[in-house]
Amino acid sequence: MSNGSGQAYAFMAMTPVLEGHERELRAYLESFNQQTSPFATLTQTHFARWVIIEDWVNSSAQPTQDHLGSPYLIFTSNLHGRIDDYLDALCNLEQASAIWSHCIGCPTPAGGPALKAYLLHNQLDTGFFVAAYPDASVEQVQASLALREQLIAFTVRSQGMDPTTLKSAFEAEFPDGD
Amino acid sequence: MSDEGPTPVEPITATGTAPRNVDGQAIAITVFSSVNWLGRLWLPILFWAATLVARVEAWLGRPPGTLARLSFIHFARWTLVRRIPYNGPPQRKETMTYPRLFFESNFNGGWQEYIDAFSHILTTGMKAFWGTSYGFPQPLPAGPFKEYIKENELVASHFYSAYPQATTTMVLAALKLAPEFKAFKLQNADKSAVDFAEAWREFLTKVQGSL
Amino acid sequence: MATRQPPTIDRADIQGDILSAYGNKYDRASYMLIHIDHPAGGQAWLGSLLGRVTNAERWSGPKPETTLNVALTYSGLRALGVAEELLRGFSDEFREGMAARAALLGDYGESAPERWDQPLGSGTGHVLVTIKALTTELLERELTDFKRAVEQAAGVSIVHEQPTQPLQEAREHFGYADGFSQPAIAGVAKHESFADGVPEQEGKWRGLALGEFILGYEDEDALIPSAPAEPLGRSGTYMIYRKLSQDVALFRKTLSEAARFYGHSEEQLAAKIVGRWPNGTPLITSPDRPIVNFNAKDPENNAFRYLDTDAEGSSCPLGAHIRRTNPRDALGWKGLKNAGLLSYRHRIIRRGMSYGPPLPAAASDAQPAEDGVERGLVFVCFNASISRQFEGIQTQWVNDGNAFHLGHDKDFLLGDSSTTNKMTVQGDPPFMLSPQPAFVTTRGGEYLFVPGLAALRFLASGADGTRT
Repeated sequence: MSNGSGQAYAFMAMTPVLEGHERELRAYLESFNQQTSPFATLTQTHFARWVIIEDWVNSSAQPTQDHLGSPYLIFTSNLHGRIDDYLDALCNLEQASAIWSHCIGCPTPAGGPALKAYLLHNQLDTGFFVAAYPDASVEQVQASLALREQLIAFTVRSQGMDPTTLKSAFEAEFPDGD
Repeated sequence: MSDEGPTPVEPITATGTAPRNVDGQAIAITVFSSVNWLGRLWLPILFWAATLVARVEAWLGRPPGTLARLSFIHFARWTLVRRIPYNGPPQRKETMTYPRLFFESNFNGGWQEYIDAFSHILTTGMKAFWGTSYGFPQPLPAGPFKEYIKENELVASHFYSAYPQATTTMVLAALKLAPEFKAFKLQNADKSAVDFAEAWREFLTKVQGSL
Repeated sequence: MATRQPPTIDRADIQGDILSAYGNKYDRASYMLIHIDHPAGGQAWLGSLLGRVTNAERWSGPKPETTLNVALTYSGLRALGVAEELLRGFSDEFREGMAARAALLGDYGESAPERWDQPLGSGTGHVLVTIKALTTELLERELTDFKRAVEQAAGVSIVHEQPTQPLQEAREHFGYADGFSQPAIAGVAKHESFADGVPEQEGKWRGLALGEFILGYEDEDALIPSAPAEPLGRSGTYMIYRKLSQDVALFRKTLSEAARFYGHSEEQLAAKIVGRWPNGTPLITSPDRPIVNFNAKDPENNAFRYLDTDAEGSSCPLGAHIRRTNPRDALGWKGLKNAGLLSYRHRIIRRGMSYGPPLPAAASDAQPAEDGVERGLVFVCFNASISRQFEGIQTQWVNDGNAFHLGHDKDFLLGDSSTTNKMTVQGDPPFMLSPQPAFVTTRGGEYLFVPGLAALRFLASGADGTRT
C-alpha cells in the first residue's frame, strides 16, 4: 500500500448508503460549491471529492456480473500532512455528520472519534499514488502562487525603471520580513 | 473596453466532461473497471514496483519521468479494491467475483486532450494498468479507449480544489520560484542600486520560465 | 503510426477550396448569408445552384473565372426540412451554434453575441454562399446574377453580405503575410516532404489523415469520424466562419509604447508577438531579421519545428501566435519521440479573407491615424470536429497558456483585456508585454456544415432520407 507520497496522503473510504437515502444525499452533496464546500475549512485538503456509485458497471467480456447491494458513497482526498489530524478535523464538521448519517453503520451521533473510527474502518488503501508536488502544504502552494502573481505584476511595472527607482520600488513591494 | 477595470473572466480549459467534474481549471476523473484473474496477481506487483521506482528516482534526484513531464496531473492514484469493508446489517456482504481497479486523477486541460496524451505518450503505461481490465481495448486508436473510459467513469457529486484556477505547471513554477526569490532577496538587498539592478536582470533571466 | 495507404479521394464529390486553396489569384470574394422561408423554396433555389458549385477536382484546362461554394447552418438544415433523425447526426456544438458557445470561445464583453453584426449567430442565417473571382468585374457580374436569382426565387432572401478586400502581398491588417501555413494531408499535399503535416523523428514529416478534415474518410485514429448519416455526411466537413475586427491603430500604438522599454526594435517586438516577420519569415528560422525575398509559399520554408533549437523560446517566444495556433512539436520536450502527437489532432485548414480598407501608416508617431473604419479578418476554417479542432485551439492554446507552461497567459495578438495578462518575450533579460489591449473583437460568426455534392443534391431534392 502506498497511501503516502512525500508528505502527501491519498485517503479513500467507501461507505454503503442507507436504502432510500441516495437522492437526498446526492442533492446535499451537489449543493456545495467552491465557497461553501466543507473542504474549504479543511486546510490540509489539496483536492477532494464525493462520488456516489449506484452499481458496478459490468463489461460484456466478463463471464458473470457483480452487483452492489446498495449505492456507495466514495470519498477521496489528496491531502497534506498527517491523516489523523485531517480526520479529526473532518469529523468535527457538521456537514461531515450530515453526509455520513446517510450511510449504513455510521455511528450516532455522527461525529468526533466515533465517525473517525467508522471512516478508518471503511478506508481502502491506495495502490499507487502520484503527486506532482508531494511535499508542499496547501498554505505553501497558495502563498507561492500569490508571490508569483506579485512578482509578475512587479516585473511588468518595473520595466524601464532606472536602478535607483527600481531598488526603492522593490523594497516597497517586498519589505523585509517577508 | 471603456471601463477602468473589466471584471476578470477566467479562461475555460476544463472541457469535455460533466460540469460537476470541474472546479475552476481542474477536472476530476473517477473510474472503476472490473479486473480479471491475471490482474488480481499483476496489479499489486505493478503498484509495488511503480512506487519503488518513483521513490528511488526521487531519492536519486533523477529528472521526472514522462508522466510528470506531461505536467497536467496534480494528483492521481490507482487502487485495487478486492473487498468492501463490512459494517453489519442492513449492509449486504458484497461478493466481488472480480476485483475492481479504481483510478482517480485531478488534472488540467481538456478531458479529450488528457486521454489522448495517455493513449499516445503513455501507451505502455496504459496497457500495464488497464490491460487486465475486462473490455479494455488497446490504448490506440484513442477512440475506443475513450469510449471505454466514458462507460466506466463516474460523475462526482462534489469536487473541490483548494486553488481551482492554478494549473499544475503554475503550482510547480510557483513552488520553484519562492525559494529562488527568497535567496535573491537575501543576497542582494544590501547591494548598491546599480548592482541590484544588474542582479535583478540576472534573476529575471534565470526564472523567466516560472513567471 | 505506420504509413498508411493514402486514400482514394472522390474529389468530384467534395467542395472546392478545402483540400487545396483556389489560390491568391481568387482574391476578390464575397460571403452572403441567405434565409429560407419555407423548405420548398429553399430546396428549389438550392437545386438551381447545384450546377455552379465548385468541387475539388483539379483544374486541367483554363481556370474558372469565378467559384461558388455553399455551407449551411443547423437552422438552415432545419429550414430545408431535413428529417429529425438525420439532424441528430450532426455534432452537438454545430447544433448549438457559435453564439451559444460564446463563453467557451471567450466571446464576452465587446465580443459578446449580443453585440454581433446582425444577423450573424442569430439563427436567421441559413445558407452561406462564398463567391470568389479573379477580378473585381468578374465578382460583381457574378454577384449581380446571384442576387437577381435570389430575388426571383420564391422563399429565399439575402440577410447578410460580407464583402472582402484583399491587401497587398496577401497580408492581413496588422501587416503580416498570412495563409500559407496549412496542414499537409496524405493524398493531397503535393510536396513529398509533407512539411507541416505531423512532425516525426529526425526532422521528417508525414501527411495527416484526410478524415481529420473530410467526413467519410479515416482520421488519425484510423476511424471514420462521427458524421451525419449517408448521404449527408460523406465528403462533408464543418466550417467555422468568424468575423474578427482588428483595431490596427491600437495595435500600432501598443507596440510603439511597449517598444520604449524593449531592447530591440518595434518591428522585432511585433514579430515576437506573431512568431513571424511581416514578410512571413518565421522567427525560428531567422530570429534577428527577416529573410529578404522570403518565399512564404515554398513548403520547405514551412518545414520548421521548435524543440531542437528553441525549447526555451529565445528565438520564437513560447506564447507567440503561430507557436500557439500550430505548435508542431512544441508541446513535447527534447527527447520525446512523439512530440507531434500532443497537437496533431487539433489542426485546421484556413481560408480567411481580409475585409475593410487598409489603415494608412501614421503621419507621425505621436498621432497614429485612426479613422473609425471597420476592418479585419473574415476567419474561415475547416475541420472534421469543431470541438476537438477549432474549439480545442481556441480554448487550450489561444485563450490560455497552460499547455505552453505559461499559466493563463493568452495569445497576445488575439486575446482580450479582461484579465491582467502579459506576454513574456523570452530572452536575456526577458521582456513582458502588458497589459493586453483587445486588438481583435469578434463581430459575429457561424458554425456551418459544408455538404459534399451528392449531399447537396439530396438536400435540394427534398428527400427526407428516412425511407431507404
